[in-house]
Amino acid sequence: MNYFQLFGIEVTFDVDLNQLSQTYQTLQKAVHPDRFAHASSQDQLLAVQKSAEINDAYQTLKQPLKRAEYILTLRGVDLPNEQQSFGDTAFLMQQMELREMLDEVKFADDVDAALNHVQQVFRQEYQQLFDLMRDNIVENNTAANVLACDNLRKLKFYQKLNIEVERLEDSLFDD
Amino acid sequence: MAYSEKVIDHYENPRNVGSMDKNDPSVATGMVGAPACGDVMKLQLKISDDGIIEDAKFKTYGCGSAIASSSLVTEWVKGKSIEEAGEIKNTAIAEELALPPVKIHCSILAEDAIKAAIEDYKSKNG
Repeated sequence: MNYFQLFGIEVTFDVDLNQLSQTYQTLQKAVHPDRFAHASSQDQLLAVQKSAEINDAYQTLKQPLKRAEYILTLRGVDLPNEQQSFGDTAFLMQQMELREMLDEVKFADDVDAALNHVQQVFRQEYQQLFDLMRDNIVENNTAANVLACDNLRKLKFYQKLNIEVERLEDSLFDD
Repeated sequence: MAYSEKVIDHYENPRNVGSMDKNDPSVATGMVGAPACGDVMKLQLKISDDGIIEDAKFKTYGCGSAIASSSLVTEWVKGKSIEEAGEIKNTAIAEELALPPVKIHCSILAEDAIKAAIEDYKSKNG
């Protein structure tokens, strides 16, 4: 049973997060340890395992990038190893420039405005790539799936950038 | 996680940080990235007419191990021929810096950066 089946929904990229959260709670209630307090130790163990599986499924389906990766895996798409180096020079050059831009924020005359600007640029570029990846996944053919993988890898660089933005925000507000 | 002394040394005193003109035909630029951690590494080599690496610069956005790996590589490649530099293996980098298994990919990134730079040089001067 795949994670989508576990949650009783079709394999699709656009999921209803409210519904997902409700199903999650219903599923978890059914395997709650309290309900198995008097069950055999084997049944207790099975309930714990099921609970862990429901949790994994929820964490995967809830987050768009993890969900995308999971859908591509279900389709049998050969995802490049995450540890494998990524060699799209133009994209990486741009990533380097975005990181340099983020570095400059703390030296700006108006730090708030500079930070806002950077966040806006990041958000815009993330959204563009995200929409592309979504279209690729919906299209669902061999070529589109390969493109989806490529865009997914690029989105992970933006995910990392956003963590850096948050870190910078924290350090600026600490002062 | 504890970093080895060598990693900390390279991290605190990185060698050869900087940039060269990527349009200069004698400058080879290697750009690589690791999606898992979002590291971005740029390695640039200045190569003489007889194929010797005269200078090396790097710029890396990433964890301490990624910075140390690229810093170490810039030291190692200087004075080497491009063929010799192309033979540098990630295992040697990982061993020198005593990288833990979860950071091996940083050394792979540095090896791939050398390869990417050499490829760039060959495509420029092919």
